[in-house]
Amino acid sequence: MASSSKLLKLAIPLVRTHGFSREALARSVLELPAGEAHSEPLSDSAVSSLFGEGDKARKNLIEAWLVDGVRHMQKAEAESTSAPPTLRDVLRTRLQYNEPVLAQLPEAFALLATTSSNFHFVDPLPALHHAGRIADEACYAIGDKSLHLSWYTKRASIASVYTAAELHQLVSPNTAYAFLDSLLDKSAALSNSLGEVSLFSSYILKSWQGIIKSQGIL
Amino acid sequence: MLGRYVCRCSLRRQGLSVSRGLASSAYTNPTKAGDEATTTTPEDLTPHQRKLLEGALRVDQAGEIAANWIYHGQHVVLSRDRATGELIKEMWEQEKKHLAVMDKLQVQHNVRPTLLTDVAKVAGFGLGAVTALMGKEAAMACTEAVETVIGEHYEDQLKELDEMTTKHPSIPLLKGVIKEFKDDELEHLDIAVENHAQRAPAHALLSAVVGAGCMVAIEICKRV
Repeated sequence: MASSSKLLKLAIPLVRTHGFSREALARSVLELPAGEAHSEPLSDSAVSSLFGEGDKARKNLIEAWLVDGVRHMQKAEAESTSAPPTLRDVLRTRLQYNEPVLAQLPEAFALLATTSSNFHFVDPLPALHHAGRIADEACYAIGDKSLHLSWYTKRASIASVYTAAELHQLVSPNTAYAFLDSLLDKSAALSNSLGEVSLFSSYILKSWQGIIKSQGIL
Repeated sequence: MLGRYVCRCSLRRQGLSVSRGLASSAYTNPTKAGDEATTTTPEDLTPHQRKLLEGALRVDQAGEIAANWIYHGQHVVLSRDRATGELIKEMWEQEKKHLAVMDKLQVQHNVRPTLLTDVAKVAGFGLGAVTALMGKEAAMACTEAVETVIGEHYEDQLKELDEMTTKHPSIPLLKGVIKEFKDDELEHLDIAVENHAQRAPAHALLSAVVGAGCMVAIEICKRV
C-alpha cells in the first residue's frame, strides 16, 4: 500500500477534475504506477483511515496542494532569465498555479477558515499562514537579504500584495496580473510602514470574510 | 559557583585546543563569496533538525545583537577612561564582526529572526550602561557573566550540530564559525577576569542576576 503522502501527491492533479474532494483522494490509487495501481478507487472508510474523517481529509488535500504551490514557485527561479528572478515573476508563477482550479478555490479557502468546533467563527490563521508561506518563499527565491524587523515588514508587505492579487484573481482572473503589477509598483511605500501594512491586512481579512460569507459557509 | 567555575575552565581548555583558523572568513572575505557552503542551506534535514538549526541561529543572532549593544552601553559610559575604553572598543569590534556573520547565516539558512530584536538592543544597552555606571569592575563582571553563558551556549550548540547527519558543506562550516566565536567570547571572558571583574561590588549576586537573565533571554529568543 502506497503511503498517504504519496497518494496525496497523486491526488493533486485530480483536483482539476474532482475538486478538493474525498473522491479525488479515493481515485489517487488509480494513478499509481503500473503494477501498484488499483482497479477501483479507495472505499470511503479507507479514505477516512488514510486522510481523516469528513472534511479533515479534504483539508489535508488542500494543504498538500498549497505545499505543492510553494514548490511550483521554484519554477520561476529555474525559468528566469535573470538570476535571481524578480518578485513579479515569482508571484505571477504562483498565481498561474491557481488557474486550473480557480473554480474550486473559494470553497477550499472557506473550508480552511472553518473551525471543526461547534462554534462557527472564521479562523484567519490558515489564510495568514498561506500568504506568509508564499511571501517567505518569494523572499528566498529573489534572494532577499532583509534583517531583523525589516524581515517581518518585507514579508508582511509581500503577503498583503499577494493575498489581494489572489482575491482579485478569484473574482476577475483576466485582470489579476495587471492588478498584481500595479500593487507591486505601489508596494515600496507600503513596506516602509508597518502600520500601513496592518491596516491593509485588516481590509484583506474583511475581504476574506466577505468571500466566505458569500459561499454560504456562515 | 564551583560547578560553574569548573565548567568555564573546561570550556577554556577545549577552546585552546581548537585551531584558530578563521571559519568566519568564508563570510567576510569577498573572494570566497558564492560558495555552496555560504549560499545554500541543507534540504535533507529532518523537521526536528531544521527546528534546532533555526532556533540556534535565531538565538545566536539575537545574542550578538545584545552583545553589541552591551558594549555600546559600556563604551558610552567608560570611553573617558582611555585604557578601558580601548579595551571595550576592541571587544565591541569583534562582536560587530560576529553580528555581520550571523546576519549572513540568517539569510543563507532562511531563518526567521527573533521578534525581540529591539528589546535585545534596549536591554543590552541598558545592561551595559548601568553596569558601567557602577564602575569598571562591574562592567567587567557583566562581561564575565554574559560571556560565560554565551560560551556554554555555543558549546551546547556544537553538540547539537554534531548530531546532524547531513553532508551539506554549510554545517561543518557553521560548526567552525561557532567554535571560532566561542573562543572569541571566552577570550573576552579572560580579559574581563584579568581586568578585575571579580572585584566588582556584590560580584556573585551581579553574576547570578546577569547570567540568569541571559539564560531566560536565550530560551525566549529560541521561540519568539
